Amino acid sequence: MEFTLLWQAGLGVLAAVVVARFQSRRGLVPMDLGLGDRLVGAAAVGVLVGRLAAMIVQGANPILAPADILVVRWGVHTGAASLAALATLAWGLRSNLWHGLDAAAPAALAGLAGWHAGCVFRGACLGTVSGLPWALAQPGSTITRHPVELYAAGLYALTAAGALWVGRRWAPGVLAGLALAVAALARLATQPLRPSIGGGPIGWYLAGTVAGLVVTVVRHRSGGDAATTKQR
Amino acid sequence: MLVTAIAVVACSAGPPAPADAEPIPALSVEDFEALMNTSDRPLVVNVWASWCVPCRSEAPLLRAAHESFGDRIRFVGIDVRDSQGEALAFMAEFGIAYENYFDREGAIPSALGGFGVPLTFFFAPGGERVFFQPGVIDERTLALQIDELLARS
Repeated sequence: MEFTLLWQAGLGVLAAVVVARFQSRRGLVPMDLGLGDRLVGAAAVGVLVGRLAAMIVQGANPILAPADILVVRWGVHTGAASLAALATLAWGLRSNLWHGLDAAAPAALAGLAGWHAGCVFRGACLGTVSGLPWALAQPGSTITRHPVELYAAGLYALTAAGALWVGRRWAPGVLAGLALAVAALARLATQPLRPSIGGGPIGWYLAGTVAGLVVTVVRHRSGGDAATTKQR
Repeated sequence: MLVTAIAVVACSAGPPAPADAEPIPALSVEDFEALMNTSDRPLVVNVWASWCVPCRSEAPLLRAAHESFGDRIRFVGIDVRDSQGEALAFMAEFGIAYENYFDREGAIPSALGGFGVPLTFFFAPGGERVFFQPGVIDERTLALQIDELLARS
């Protein structure tokens, strides 16, 4: 039984929960929001739906082989998992949607940083061939490669720090939209450094970037309108 | 929608083997070793069976890899502990076009030191084993090992 994927997921959850607690203790988000629990719940739903979608796409039957749902290493559908996680989070925060999503953004980005950094547990950090001084070789190989998952982890960590710094300075929903766009863009930017069969789910990353930017623009405009109305 | 999709998948059956399909040729351990040692291209050897659920999971990935890299890497499937009819239906269902061999007793994976299905072996030209993946292979591992084979050759 392989547990390395579990350690990787654990590091992602740990990073998200630590940042969520930091936000709560510093008074950046209301304590009663239950941010850490909501993020963990959304991630769990996302993994389950993504796994079911992957099985269906691959032609495996979840009803005839229910135990196989648990073997996440066989594949999770990125797009379905992301949509399900976002929908679950949005549903949980529906009473105060945009403020809630803004509050969740830094912790979610930190969780992604932890997930990507967790590649070290699985020996799954390396990407395409590189001669750069920090490039690393697989065990038993002399060919050095980009530690692409650590690049992604660094990008997410920087973005999470930026989101914490921004806090509530922007109109409600702008930070959440921008976080979604940057999260998708970080995957898109690092994708060429990952060896893949058929290019990877580039369409989903593009869709995430566009959706995030649309939310950012729409919320920025509506926030501006609200501010204007208040001034009147 | 998800429930509907699951129900549709549950109620559907894979296509039967084409009536005019040639049987999968049998291959002995000696013949396999000769194939491995004389191949001028790197080799990806996947051991599978039609009754193996994880094999269904990785079949589309292997087909896509063959479509992308088949001109530079030789893909070989070894079907073990299976029946010809079920195996041919499996290949038709997933559109597997690379060369496949029938090994009813599973002697080839045993000789390679593998147990169970699926298994995937990666060999450099000349037969040097570069990597061995017991169990199902994911896209990242397959892509990285193919890249490693191409970088070495």
